[in-house]
Amino acid sequence: MRLLIVEDDAPLASGLSRILEAEGHAVDVTERGEDAVLAASQEHFDLVILDIGLPRMDGFEVLRRLRAAEKPIPVLVLTARDAVEDRVRGLDIGADDYMVKPFAMPELTARVRALLRRSQAHGGPRIVHGPLALDTVARRAFLRNEPLELAAREWAVLEVLLAKVEKIVSKEAIIQAVAGWGEDLSPNAIEVYVSRLRSKLEPAGIKIRTVRGFGYMLEEFKAATH
Amino acid sequence: MPARSLRAHLLRLLLPPIAALLAVGAVVGYYSSIEPANEAYDQALSDIAAAIAAYVRANGTDYRLDLPHEVEQALRTDRYDKLFYRVLSPSGSHIAGDDKLPVSERSTAYDARFRGEAVRVVTAPAQCGSLTCTVLVGETMVKRTRLAREFLISSLLPGILIALATLVLLWFGVKRGLWPLARLSEELKARSPRDLRPIDAAGEPEETRPLVAALNGLLEEVALAASNQQRFLANAAHQLRTPLAGLQAHTELALAQPLPESCRAQIEQVHQATIRTARLANQLLALARAEPGARGTSSDVNLRSVVEAEADGWVHQALERDVDLGFELDMAPVKGDALLLREALANLVHNAIQYSNNGGRVTVRTGQREGQSFAEVEDDGPGIAPQERERVLERFYRVPGTRGTGSGLGLAIVREIAGGHGARMELTDGAGARGCRVALTFPYG
Repeated sequence: MRLLIVEDDAPLASGLSRILEAEGHAVDVTERGEDAVLAASQEHFDLVILDIGLPRMDGFEVLRRLRAAEKPIPVLVLTARDAVEDRVRGLDIGADDYMVKPFAMPELTARVRALLRRSQAHGGPRIVHGPLALDTVARRAFLRNEPLELAAREWAVLEVLLAKVEKIVSKEAIIQAVAGWGEDLSPNAIEVYVSRLRSKLEPAGIKIRTVRGFGYMLEEFKAATH
Repeated sequence: MPARSLRAHLLRLLLPPIAALLAVGAVVGYYSSIEPANEAYDQALSDIAAAIAAYVRANGTDYRLDLPHEVEQALRTDRYDKLFYRVLSPSGSHIAGDDKLPVSERSTAYDARFRGEAVRVVTAPAQCGSLTCTVLVGETMVKRTRLAREFLISSLLPGILIALATLVLLWFGVKRGLWPLARLSEELKARSPRDLRPIDAAGEPEETRPLVAALNGLLEEVALAASNQQRFLANAAHQLRTPLAGLQAHTELALAQPLPESCRAQIEQVHQATIRTARLANQLLALARAEPGARGTSSDVNLRSVVEAEADGWVHQALERDVDLGFELDMAPVKGDALLLREALANLVHNAIQYSNNGGRVTVRTGQREGQSFAEVEDDGPGIAPQERERVLERFYRVPGTRGTGSGLGLAIVREIAGGHGARMELTDGAGARGCRVALTFPYG
């Protein structure tokens, strides 16, 4: 994937680019908002990592211009300021995600993966999670390239969890996504579907964690060798 | 010398003039009433003298008083005073009556001493042929002294009563008069230390307005100083964040590379120190925001939503330490600064996870009890001994022998934030007398 980092702090920019390159991405770095807008208009990027505190044209303006483009690029906003965090959280300024500095690099890479996955999912019919692959058009699932039988409800629950890897999905959110109009689905029923999914996916190393009193979280797939 | 009591000061100020007025009033009253009284007594004596004069007979140069005994008896009879009289010839020689009753050439009514007593003497002329004899009538001063005493008392008493009443009125009047000040101090006392808004001077009497204006000026300056300090701290902490993020990126990069073992250990140390420093910078920022004088925003916040929004991050923290982080969430509406409330809860959860044993359980609860919203975090770790519970709330204090590398700021921040929101913070044992539970209970509404 091709990423653009817009960050005026040179050590941080170089650290980020090297970490993301190590993840297998092609990374470009610029320290000026104007350059970022220009680059994004001329070339294709899969994701922009944008610092809000830029000199001259600030991150908000860059974000506005990126959003105005024909095909909006996913943007991960970085900020060092609580006040900015307030704005990012409180207003719909169009960022896909944001992180407050300083942050742990594994968290950054996880967010980048999640954003890329999400934007791919929008375009393509295929969702991949480690050894698991979902063909959303044919509604067929594969685990380690073997067909995987999933009941309709199990499929729906899995789809919700896959859309938010590493994020907690509350039971209510799952019920809303899974239950049809006028249907009454109990939290217990969700537990049953999740436990069935677990028994099918865990042998392949895919883990669904229960967050007590809240919901479930599909963990990032970690290959045994990693 | 500064007066310690306004009342005492006022009394000291008012007492001498009141006393002086009282004295002058008494003297004026005394003399203005004793004069006519004395004149009336003198007139009575003068009448007696005239009566006696009617009995003076002259035969050539032979003068004689022909006073019948019964008349003399009647004249001399008085309930209080002794009466004396004397008749002098035109040449001044004694004719009759009490010898040696003093004579005065200057006045027809005068004070004198006679037989060891003070007397008042009045003279009257008596026709003695073609010449004039003199009749002296003297009287002791018992009546007059009595009257003088009565006049003195009756002119002093109302003055004294008025003075006493003045003092009493002053005593209570000062209190009553200072009521606006008392109310002002109540208002200031009831204020939260975070509240540096100016005092409303609208209802203040004219006399206390300058005080309120001065206080408002001071409050404004304090607020300005606080917000300057606040801004400085926030700026400093913010400025630290970007380089810390860079540092963190590079230490992680370095650790991802093959390194000699000795070198790896050192970079690992640098990395851990960076993470701690980053956390400290965030905590200082939170503290700066939570401090009195910070211009926090206040809005309707549901603690449940705050927890739900942060749960992802917390669960990851918990997973790293193999802690089972669970939630029991119900609606908990409060008024406050969402960012600060999040910081408070994040600190509680961080502490609980940090000090839990591996495989421990941490539970976050929000909801309402008896109409009051609350949030609490409970762990089943080693807990905090009752005698340490006060001290752990102090800044930079860490329970001796605690593992890990915390700054000791976490609970202090929580206390600061709770205080700013008027919330009660309680540290108790966790369920089954194990671990620790920290609960924040928010005021009604």
